[in-house]
Amino acid sequence: MGVLAVLPLFLIIGDVMFKGVSAIVKQLGSPWEFLAWLPPDPLADRWGVGRLLVGTLYSLWEFLTRLPPDPFADRWGIGPLLVGTLYMTALGAVVGFIVGFPIGVYIGEMRKEAFANVARASVNVLVEFPTITIGLFVYAVFVFVIEDLNRTLLSPLSEWLTSALGDGVGQFIGPLGGYNAYAGALALSIIMIPYVALVTASAYASIPDSIREAAYSISGREFKAMFIVLRKAVSRAVLTAALLGTAKIAGETAPLLFTALGNIYYAPFTQATAAIPLWIWYAAQTPYDVQIESAYGAAAVLLVIVLTLFAVAKLAAQKR
Amino acid sequence: MAIFLVLFITFYLLSAFTLLFIKTRWGLRLIAAINVAIIAALVATFAWEALPLLERDGLAVFVNSDWDPPRESYGVLNALVGTLITSAIAITVAMPLAVGVAVTINEMLPQRLRGVFGALNDLTAAMPTVIYGLWGLFVLGPVLQSVVNTVSTWLGFGEVMTAPLTLFTAAILLAIMITPYAAAVIREGYALVPRHIEEAIYAIGATKFEAVLVKLRYVKNYIFGGLFLALGRAMGETVAVAMVVGGNFARFTLNPFESGITISSLIALQFPNAHSYQFMVPALFAGALLLAVVGLAINAVAIYILQRATT
Repeated sequence: MGVLAVLPLFLIIGDVMFKGVSAIVKQLGSPWEFLAWLPPDPLADRWGVGRLLVGTLYSLWEFLTRLPPDPFADRWGIGPLLVGTLYMTALGAVVGFIVGFPIGVYIGEMRKEAFANVARASVNVLVEFPTITIGLFVYAVFVFVIEDLNRTLLSPLSEWLTSALGDGVGQFIGPLGGYNAYAGALALSIIMIPYVALVTASAYASIPDSIREAAYSISGREFKAMFIVLRKAVSRAVLTAALLGTAKIAGETAPLLFTALGNIYYAPFTQATAAIPLWIWYAAQTPYDVQIESAYGAAAVLLVIVLTLFAVAKLAAQKR
Repeated sequence: MAIFLVLFITFYLLSAFTLLFIKTRWGLRLIAAINVAIIAALVATFAWEALPLLERDGLAVFVNSDWDPPRESYGVLNALVGTLITSAIAITVAMPLAVGVAVTINEMLPQRLRGVFGALNDLTAAMPTVIYGLWGLFVLGPVLQSVVNTVSTWLGFGEVMTAPLTLFTAAILLAIMITPYAAAVIREGYALVPRHIEEAIYAIGATKFEAVLVKLRYVKNYIFGGLFLALGRAMGETVAVAMVVGGNFARFTLNPFESGITISSLIALQFPNAHSYQFMVPALFAGALLLAVVGLAINAVAIYILQRATT
């Protein structure tokens, strides 16, 4: 029975990793390709391993920065996808943690208040909400505010910043398009908030009363007691929650469908942005072999990211 | 107009986080209100966006099975029935499995393996759904088709599953996805069975099997809570389902072995071309409203059951 529970997991990871890694390896090609490009070296035998390593790393870097394939391409990579996913996930995770952590502290520390129960119920509901509705909500909000926001705030701001700091700012701040990375990050952060809040709340609720009283008695102010002294007691659980939440939002697709939309080029973050899950969703449904292969390759990379975050979180939770 | 909303939100966030340092309690309350506000705004936005269609058709949107954009006729009944069929099958398959998994991990396995299997269970719940979809599309669908057809031919029904991507495929994929989820909730309750009750069960001479039955009855609130949480998840799941459900918008079907559609996959698949039609965006928002309200109701039931279990 226990084996049955984890069997699909191994089947899925095995399938995705096998097909994905073989697709990636096919893209990497032979490291000798790069070496042939170097001047011939009389000491090739002695430095063979080092040159091989450099060649492999170089072609891996090529793979990580190249564009995803159109139907007739034969070399492809995951460059824009990786950049978009990392940017939106990092932004969403930071915002989600900053808002979610105090909510968790409130629910965990002030359990006796009536409003805390309301907040707890709302967090429980939001963590279960269908993620696509959150994407739709952010889409509707952005449609509502975007014109005014661009006209009154973002255009002047970006002009001023561009004149002060140079053109690079335009990649990050500027008049927003209908689909942009910030909408995606906002949707991801809304998914992250309740997740972090729930774990933080249960961690704070499990602090023994003796420690809680000691914390309040030595720290003087409530803020210090809650956020500095008591935080140390639960920092490990909260760190785990943050990492698991990040792993969760890194793989979310539905909230990004109408907010980041997806892209196959490097684009400013104020325009439609690519993401690995979006590319998997799009490419797996095309009839072209090369795109399906690239979906598997991208899925393998996504799986590596998620598994790494998950493993780090579990290890951080266990070390005591 | 909208700029005031943006300014208000900015001001609200700034003041809430500043208050955190000055009057901690009020700062916390203001920040916690954000979460409540998000849910209220979510439902309100969907109702507002769906209004044009609701004004035109009334509540007939939800009982009309005709999805025909060129004639501007929209009904989400088709998708609603698809959602109900897939989640019903998924729950029926997943719940016995989830109970079995929880019991196995907590009772049968040696202590050292429990942590490992627990972590793997959590990982199954945390995997990106799009990867489930990818696997379902290229592996599960074809395999399931040949298995179902073999069984049904053997039973004398002929080949009932004519395509790899059907409501049934989606339901089985959902069952795989929600089993670890429900199992985690049940395990949580299982760990809370008091030591003295466990000892009392064995003291009256119960075998291991009988002890498990008694303990399961003891945690039945957690089982029902897990069931409703898993149900809510199955109904709202989007990407994995949309990849394997077949995307049949037009024809109403009650047969799970045909391709169909669910509400969330209807939104995901139809939204990109919705702006070409006058009333399709409101129709999709009406679907989202339905999804949100049903999700709220199911989660409210689950939370009620689980809170009764803990007190």
